[in-house]
This record gives sequence, structure tokens and C-alpha cells, in this order.
Amino acid sequence: MASIINSISFKNFFNYYGDYDTTRYDFEEGVNIVVADNGAGKSKFFNAFLWLFYDTVLNSDDKRTYPVKDFAVKIISDKAKNETLMGDSVETGIKLEYSTGRYKFQIVKSFIATRIGEKLSDFDSWQITLNDVEVDKTDHVLPKYKPIYDAEEKHRVINQLILPTLRQYSFFQGEEVDKMIDFTKKSSIEDAVRTLTNISKYEDIAKIVQDISNKAYNDLNKQTKSTSDHNDRLESAIELKKSLEIQLEQENEKLNIQKELYETAEQEKNDLEQNFANAEKRKELDDKISQKSRVLRGVKEDYDNFLEGINSRFFDGGFSWISLGFERSVVDFKDKIKDFRQKRYEKRALLNATENPNDYFTILPSDSPDAVTLEQMIESEHCHVCNRSAEKGSDAHNYLLKLKNRPNETDSTRDFVKNDLEDFFGNLQINASPFLNKFEAIPQSVLRTREKELELKKRLDKLNSELKTLKARRKDILIAGTESEGADNASDIINQYKGSIRRIEQASGRIERLQNNISELKTKITNTDKEITSLRPKDIPEGYTVSYEITQDLVEATNKAQARVFDKMVSLLESHANEHFESLIKYNDIKGGVLSFEKTPSGGISLDYIDELGNDVSGASEGFQRMKKFAVVMAIISANTSQYNYPLLADAPLSAFGKAFNKGFFEAIPDVFPQSIILVKDLYDKDLDGKLTDLGQKLLESNTIRTLYLNEVDEELPQIERTTKIERRK
Amino acid sequence: MNSQEFRNNLLLKRPRYAVSRIPVLDAFSEKGSKSADYSRFGPYYEIYIYAMMLGIKKKQRLPLPPRDLTKDFIEMGKWKRDSSLIDFLLMVIFTQTDNLQIDWNELEDMGQEDLNKVISSVVNLIEEYANGGLAYLEELWENGKLDNSHYMFIDLYNTSSNNDN
Repeated sequence: MASIINSISFKNFFNYYGDYDTTRYDFEEGVNIVVADNGAGKSKFFNAFLWLFYDTVLNSDDKRTYPVKDFAVKIISDKAKNETLMGDSVETGIKLEYSTGRYKFQIVKSFIATRIGEKLSDFDSWQITLNDVEVDKTDHVLPKYKPIYDAEEKHRVINQLILPTLRQYSFFQGEEVDKMIDFTKKSSIEDAVRTLTNISKYEDIAKIVQDISNKAYNDLNKQTKSTSDHNDRLESAIELKKSLEIQLEQENEKLNIQKELYETAEQEKNDLEQNFANAEKRKELDDKISQKSRVLRGVKEDYDNFLEGINSRFFDGGFSWISLGFERSVVDFKDKIKDFRQKRYEKRALLNATENPNDYFTILPSDSPDAVTLEQMIESEHCHVCNRSAEKGSDAHNYLLKLKNRPNETDSTRDFVKNDLEDFFGNLQINASPFLNKFEAIPQSVLRTREKELELKKRLDKLNSELKTLKARRKDILIAGTESEGADNASDIINQYKGSIRRIEQASGRIERLQNNISELKTKITNTDKEITSLRPKDIPEGYTVSYEITQDLVEATNKAQARVFDKMVSLLESHANEHFESLIKYNDIKGGVLSFEKTPSGGISLDYIDELGNDVSGASEGFQRMKKFAVVMAIISANTSQYNYPLLADAPLSAFGKAFNKGFFEAIPDVFPQSIILVKDLYDKDLDGKLTDLGQKLLESNTIRTLYLNEVDEELPQIERTTKIERRK
Repeated sequence: MNSQEFRNNLLLKRPRYAVSRIPVLDAFSEKGSKSADYSRFGPYYEIYIYAMMLGIKKKQRLPLPPRDLTKDFIEMGKWKRDSSLIDFLLMVIFTQTDNLQIDWNELEDMGQEDLNKVISSVVNLIEEYANGGLAYLEELWENGKLDNSHYMFIDLYNTSSNNDN
């Protein structure tokens, strides 16, 4: 029956402050997820298992593992440390419960720290005593735990949770997948095949039958010598075979050296490719960041200008906010100017009348012609009133003209006031017109201003958050890239890369030549062997010959069987890996290709993703590469003839995956692992109400997910107050 | 004096403000410190105009202290160039005939000296309203009653009822 982790709990373990019952995760068969942002306890959780299995913890600062004993002071919760008085002690530990079909086990690892110094985080301030590991056992019928005392039995119980040989496939942190599956290394694929098959038995048999065969050959030669008196030709044939065999051995040695060189160069090439890709990706991200920053600066400036400019809308005729509430003044002004003009008019009229009454009141005699008649009279040069001619230039004609132009004479401009201010007031009204007609529109304009601001603000926030994401990705790459030493310079990388390819080609050419030599030598040896057989005296007892022949056949058969088992397992892995890969990338666009396991000259396997025409599918991201390898991990586990009986414990397996990969991942893992506990930050979004991303929410509703926890740490608090809060969401 | 001369004489005037109002003027205009706590106006004349209009809305006239406790700034003709803002402001001011104790038609018959007195009293009215508005702003400011938002001034302006209405 499979091992299923029922619960894990912590006591003052890093930020998991408090006793076991306050910081406890209960898990079930199936998929269990712990969602936590950076710094909210994922790696600490993972560390609990490192302590359980290896008595070490991983220091996230320098990515190195330390024995628990030496690192204890850092393991204790800062809050707990702070609360421990001088001379008092604090206990720190982890407790895990797991069950197999019939039994249930509880394992506790802990230590006691006694405070002997002032400085909290000083290693010298604490005296550490490691407690014995406690292992208890119960069967499901009896609810009571009974302690196990035997050290070996305790060890066995811990190992049974995940067998040491399988841990590399079942207990890992995100980036480790890259390293654990590197089939270009012959040892890596051999490891996998050895884990999965009884191939080591074939290796044993091969060794035994080879020994027997050698013995049979020696016996046969001894017999030959003792029965034949003198046979130069046979003698020299045996010598020849011996020297050929020595040559073969030397060539094999050379071949091994070249294979190693090949493997090293291939490894270097792969590492550089990773680096190269990172370098390229870094550049790409840098470009994106600087472009985004530029846009952001522009929008920020727009936004600032906009805010600065809000108040200028008071004075801008286009907005005219200053006129808000002054409708009445405008009406007032209009009344006043009307009044003013009226009074002026009257005043002028009065003045004219007084000063020049005859000009002003021109009273025509009765029967005076109207304007139209007057016009006709002027034109026809004839007065219809007195019926006399009035030729042009005559007094009569001039009189008619004078009559006609009569109103104009009275319009002559003349000052009737000291200060003519009509234009002053009139122009105020005309000029101010932009400010006179917006009263009703102003509230709307204020509202639109607010909307515009919100719009700009939204855009600014969006850009800010995009930039933050880009920077975070850039930082992630930096972390991944720090492992390569001295290869920071891009041209260095390219030169090294070219060098490694040249060495791969060289080694590969030499391997081919050596393999030719070897097969020639083998043919020669076989032929020499035939000659030896024919030269052997006929009086040798048949048993020696037969025994030699049979053992030789056995050697050949065993070698072939071993190779067949290996090949068969590789092709089984290939087909399983493809199946898993298919389901992992279910939601991705890249489709239509297959994972192909190609043999390399050094005996390793290169893992390629090729399309129907056999071409490499390029442009595959880091996440894609990791997914490919994860498919192989799953293949190694599912290709096992028996059911896989161990949980999967993975910290941040998704860190480099895209969203679509994540979805595929959670759907695919239950096919292989009876239980999985996945620690992720990718489903966390602190800005959302439920703190979970869309996918997080969907998983919460999905039947495949059995439990989902959310860790939160109050980042506002100082480190010595911080604790990890565990919230079960499902 | 014709219309153009009258206008020119008026626009050449440089209204004054009390020296004691400098802190409030600085706090709400860009001439003040760069790291402002509140929403601000641009040049002095903006906050000055705003205060004046606020003074009219609130009917707050406050005489200036003696001349040596006041300062002047740019002439009205240079407030917001290439804009008819000043025309609108003068429209509002010249409707205040009761406060100015003038009759538009009488202006036309005044002697040079009297007309200049009218111009002075127009400027005086502007100064007193501005001073009243600034005093009101200062009081809100000192009592922490100003809402620190980008819309502080328009909100305040909007809620200040125009007592003329």
C-alpha cells in the first residue's frame, strides 16, 4: 500500500511559531496544495522533510545545506527566541504522521535550545540539545501509538515514506528537475533504468559467465598444450589472439576516455545553452523593462501634469470653472449695460434736441415726398411736387439731394459725454464670452476631469504592476544565472559554446573510428579463434571444447539480453514520457510534436522535442524544458511495473512554467502519484480579495484537488514578531 | 478719457496683498515650496483671483493694512495673457455698483481726477475681496479643515454659496 502523509505540524520551526497543534497541515490522498508568497513558509515546509530524511536544512540565503545541529539557532522561530528569557529553554521540532495500508506512523524530530546569551541570533547565545528521534506506530484498529525503540526500525520507518533510491524523483525543488534528469549523461539514464528494472542482475550474470568462459578457455589451452607436443602455428595463433585481445582492451579504454570527453563537452554545451538562453532572455527582459519604464515615465509625467493642471481649469476659457456660481453677476451686468445704453441714448437725444432743435427735429411741410418718390424725382431730374424740371447741377436738383441725405446729417459724431465708456463696457461683455456660457457644463467638466484622472491613474497602476512583474522575472533569471561562474561575458559564452561543440565533434569522430577499430579487432579475434579451433589437436577431451563454446554463447546471450532490457526500458520510458507530456501540455499551443529519446555516441540519451518531420521544435522556453523533464520523471515512476507507492513532495515545481502548464500539471500528477503535496506561489495574488489567482480559484473548485492551504505572513511586523498563519481553504 | 484709456489705466494697476498673507499664498501656489502638501495653483495671480472670487461668493471684504505692510505684484493686464479672463473678472467687479458707489453713466461725465479715483476704488475692491478670500482660506488651512485632494479648490468653490444669488 502506498505511503500517505496524513499531517505535518511544526513547533517554533522558522516562522511557524507556536506548538504543533497551532501549525498543522492535514493532508489527504490525491493532490494537496500549499499556496504561499515568497517568504511565507514554502521552503521552510520543504526543510522539514530535509530534516526528516537527512537531518539537514537548506539555507535559502546561500542555497547550501547545513546539518540541523549547526544551524539550529536559525531554525528556531525568531518570535519564540525573543520570548525566551535568559536561562529558559525553547523547543523546536517537526512532527509527521503517515500511514501505509495497515499501519500509521508518527515521527517527531526536535531539539531544545537554552538561552545563555543576550544576542538573539548569535549562535553562542544558545545551547542546543538534539532530542532522539521519536517514532511511534499504531495499526488502524488500535488508536494508540506505541513507541519504536530500535534505531534500525526507526530508520526503516522514515525511509519507507519515500525510498531513498526514489527520492530524487519524488522529493525536489523546482530547479532540481533540470539537474536530476539529464539523460545525456549515461549515468543518469542508467540510474533511471536501474531503478526501474532488474538490469543489475543481468550485469551480475554477465560478469559470472564471463569469468566462467575465461576459465573454460584457460583450461582448454592448458589441455591443448599438454596433449600436443609441438605446434608452432597453434602457438602463434593463440599468441596472436592474446595480443589482439590486449589491443581490444586498449581500444576499449580509449573509447571510454573519448566517451567521457564527449559527455563532458555535451554537458558543457547544455549548461552554456541554458546560460546563453538566460543571457538572451536577460537582454530581452532588460529591453522590455527599459521600454516599459520609458512609457511609465511618460504616463507619470502626463499624470503629474494633469494633476498640476487641474486648478488651471479655473482660468482657462475652455473650462471656465471660475465662473461657477456667477450666473447672477452676468445677468446683472447685462441688465446694467442695457440700462446704461438706454440712459446714454436718452442723454444724447436730449442734448441734440436742446442744442440744435432744427437739425434734430426736421419737420417737412405737408405733401413732402416719401423716400421712394424722392429717389425717382432725383433720377428723372423733375420735381413732382411743383411739377418743374430739376436738372442735375441746378438748385432744385441740389435741394432734392439735400432732402434725400437729410438723416445722415443729424448722425454726425460729436462728443456728448466727457468719457465715452460704451466700448469699455461693451467690449468686456464681448471679450468675456468664453466665460459666460459654461455654467451648466462646469459640474460635468469637473466630473470628466475626475474620470480622466482615474483613467490615467489606472493606466499608471497597470504599467507599474507590469514593470514590477518584469523586474521580478529579471530577478528570477539572475538567481538562476548565478550558478555559472566566469561566464558572464556574452562573447565568452559564445566562444566556450563553440569550443564545446568542436570538442563534441572531435570526440564523436574519434568514437566512431575507435568503434570501427574495435569491431575490426573483434572480427580478427573471432577469425583467430576459428583458426585456433581448427588447429587444436583432435585428441583433446570433448568436454573442454564444449564447455568453452557454451560459456562463450552464454556471454554473448547475456550481453544481448542486457542490452535488450536496457533498450526496451528506454523505449518504454519514451512512450510513457510522451503520454505524460501530452497531458502536461494539454492547455498549451505547442502541439503535434513528440519527445524523442535519441541515443548519443557516449551511450546517453538526448531528449528532443521534434515535429512530424523530425525537426527540432525551437523556441522552447525554460518552463517548457522543465516540463519535458518532468514528463520523464513521471515516466520513470509510471513505467514501474508495480504501482508507485510514495508521495510527491515538490517545492515550487511551477516556478518557470506558464499558466497553461500549471493547469496541465495539476491535472496530470494524480495519474502517477497517489499523493502529492505541492508548494506554490504562482497561485497567490495578494491584490485579489481571495488572494488566489483565477487558476487558484478554479483548482479550489476542482475535484482533483483534495486540500488547499494558504500561508500568510504579516510583512508589516518586524521579523521577531512574524509568524506564518495557515488557513485551510479546502 | 475714452474706453481704451480707461481700460489701460485700470489694467496698469498692480493690486496689493497684505504681507501677512504671504504664507498662505506660498502654500497654495507654485511659487512656494516644491514639496507641497496641498493641491496648488500656478502663479500668484491664480490664487489671488481664486481668493477674490471666493471673497465675492462669501461676501468677505477685508481692508488691507497700511501700505507699508502690503506688497504689490504684476499688473492686472498681465494676469493670464492672451485670455479674456480679466474681462470676465471686470464684468463681475463692475456689477458691484453698490460697493463701488458708482453709476456707470455718471462715470462718463466725471473729470479725470474723479475717474482715477473710481479706478482706485475698483482696485481697492479687488484687493479687499482677495484679502477676505485669503483670510478665509487661511483659517481653513490653519484649522486643518482643508480636504487634501486634487479637487480641493473646486470642491470648496462649489460648496461656497454665492451670497449674491
